[in-house]
Amino acid sequence: MKRAITLTMTLTRDWMKGTTPSSSQGLHTTIKRIISIFTGLSYNLIGIVLLLGIWHVVSLVTDGELPGPIATSSVFWELISNPVYDYGPNDKGIALQLYSSLSRVFTGFILGSIIAIPIGLLMGANSFCRKIFYPIVQILKPVSPLAWFPIGLVAFQSASDATIFIIVITSLWPTLINTAFGVASIPDDHKNVAKAFGFSKWKYLTKVLLPYSLPHIITGLRLSIGVAWLVIVAGEMLSGGMGIGFFVWDSWNALSLEKVISAILIIGLVGLLLDRVFSYLEKKVTYSI
Amino acid sequence: MSYLKIENMEIAFNSLKGKFVAVKDINLEVEKGQIISIIGHSGCGKSTIMNAIGGMVFPSKGKVVLNGKEIKGPGPDRGIVFQNYSLLPWLTVYQNIFQAVDAALRNKNKSEKHELSEKYLKMVNLWEHREKYPKQISGGMKQRVAIARAFAIDPEVLLLDEPFGALDALTKASLHIELLKLWNLTHRSKTIVMVTHDIEEAVFLSDRIVVMNNGPAATIREIEEVHLPRPRNKKDTVNLPEYKIIRERLLNLLIEKVALDESEFYKEERAA
Ligand SMILES: Nc1ncnc2c1ncn2[C@@H]1O[C@H](COP(=O)(O)OP(=O)(O)OP(=O)(O)O)[C@@H](O)[C@H]1O
Ligand SMILES: [Mg+2]
Repeated sequence: MKRAITLTMTLTRDWMKGTTPSSSQGLHTTIKRIISIFTGLSYNLIGIVLLLGIWHVVSLVTDGELPGPIATSSVFWELISNPVYDYGPNDKGIALQLYSSLSRVFTGFILGSIIAIPIGLLMGANSFCRKIFYPIVQILKPVSPLAWFPIGLVAFQSASDATIFIIVITSLWPTLINTAFGVASIPDDHKNVAKAFGFSKWKYLTKVLLPYSLPHIITGLRLSIGVAWLVIVAGEMLSGGMGIGFFVWDSWNALSLEKVISAILIIGLVGLLLDRVFSYLEKKVTYSI
Repeated sequence: MSYLKIENMEIAFNSLKGKFVAVKDINLEVEKGQIISIIGHSGCGKSTIMNAIGGMVFPSKGKVVLNGKEIKGPGPDRGIVFQNYSLLPWLTVYQNIFQAVDAALRNKNKSEKHELSEKYLKMVNLWEHREKYPKQISGGMKQRVAIARAFAIDPEVLLLDEPFGALDALTKASLHIELLKLWNLTHRSKTIVMVTHDIEEAVFLSDRIVVMNNGPAATIREIEEVHLPRPRNKKDTVNLPEYKIIRERLLNLLIEKVALDESEFYKEERAA
């Protein structure tokens, strides 16, 4: 919540900078912005170099039990230089694995959101619904994704569908809770305006409720996609067949830690990318106060 | 039978500790076209009374009658300027007005609604700023948007809750004049009930001033009649003897308590 507000403020500031400058100021701000981008990048670089350093040291200490950055990088390069090969069911390129995982993640995430947003809106807007759904949410939310897997298998008779099922059921909670919180926290001031001027239900929904809660909903979606991406790896380790989780498991069975580490890096990078996309959306829809 | 009538009103809120009575024994009669100010210390229940007239809060005893009908809820016959402006931050200045007009005046068509929004935005000199968002305009401008919004639905009663509260003296003075201009433009037919902390503002604008006791369970302490001639302007009006007399009276009514506190304070000083 606090973070969302900070984001808003930075956004407002950036945006106001963007709209007001006269031509000389414009150049000035552009230069400033470029400098700030470069300082940002250099911090990132330092962090990455530090991580590589630690990794290298650990690899040396363990006598190469854990492959170091250099050994891994050649495997990593091999993986991404030929990403789409397909040598049969157990040997596919990394991009194909990723594609399979991502399509499951998005299917599960979208289904989950379709369930979570309306229920969240109801819970936020109506105290009766809130009281009914709250205990259900409390009980189901902390359940580990893996515990759902057998249920999914029984229900759908297919490992692949069961994986999607566990993504749905574990990724919907952040969206649901954030949506409910957003709607429930609409200030009385805004409600009073709607009351005083006689807003219709529809106008209230589109001009007060949704604009106010949209940033909360998107924050929920951002957390949800993160959960979905966490869960997919575990799910695919169980379900097998295809996907980045399966790839990790398969590489471990083939005793290629280099591949496992490469996959970890790729999982991390894709997760980062997903998060960036949603944080961009978050900034887009966050109105500024 | 007066136009707006508050009869034996008590308003109570349910709190954790049980019933909290904000105001009680409120009796007030307002004629059509009058400007009334409610003045009193913070927390005495001024906004609560306004909300009762607005139909957002319901009396626990007594009733509010407007035009012969008991008030049962909000309605487009009353335009409210809330204490904290209450603009919708995701709508532009223009949209804030247009959406309110659109909701309140259902039998008008779209272009009529647009014309009304335009007219009242121009009236408060904000037409050039119509595409801005509330956070991009100053406090005084927000206040004017809120005033334009309330006027645009052409209500018979205007409820202004500390409309000039957060403004500097200069902006305040010019908005006082703007308010009276708007009132004159509608042939002084609109009834205005205004809450304020500012004694001079109350005297300058109103026909009558309702002075409240302190809460909880606040009551009306006194109602002052202001017979200053209209049209009023700052320069001449404030020099009239009657203006000064009323101002003194109100000051005494409201400052009494502060003076008492002061003497207590000195007592403690001496003791220490
Ligand atoms: N919705 C509410 N629930 C409970 N108590 C309330 C509510 N609204 C107001 N009160 C209480 O009623 C009393 C009067 O509040 P009100 O807002 O009317 O004061 P006010 O005179 O407008 O003060 P100010 O000058 O600071 O705006 C206060 O003690 C306040 O705590
Ligand atoms: Mg108040």
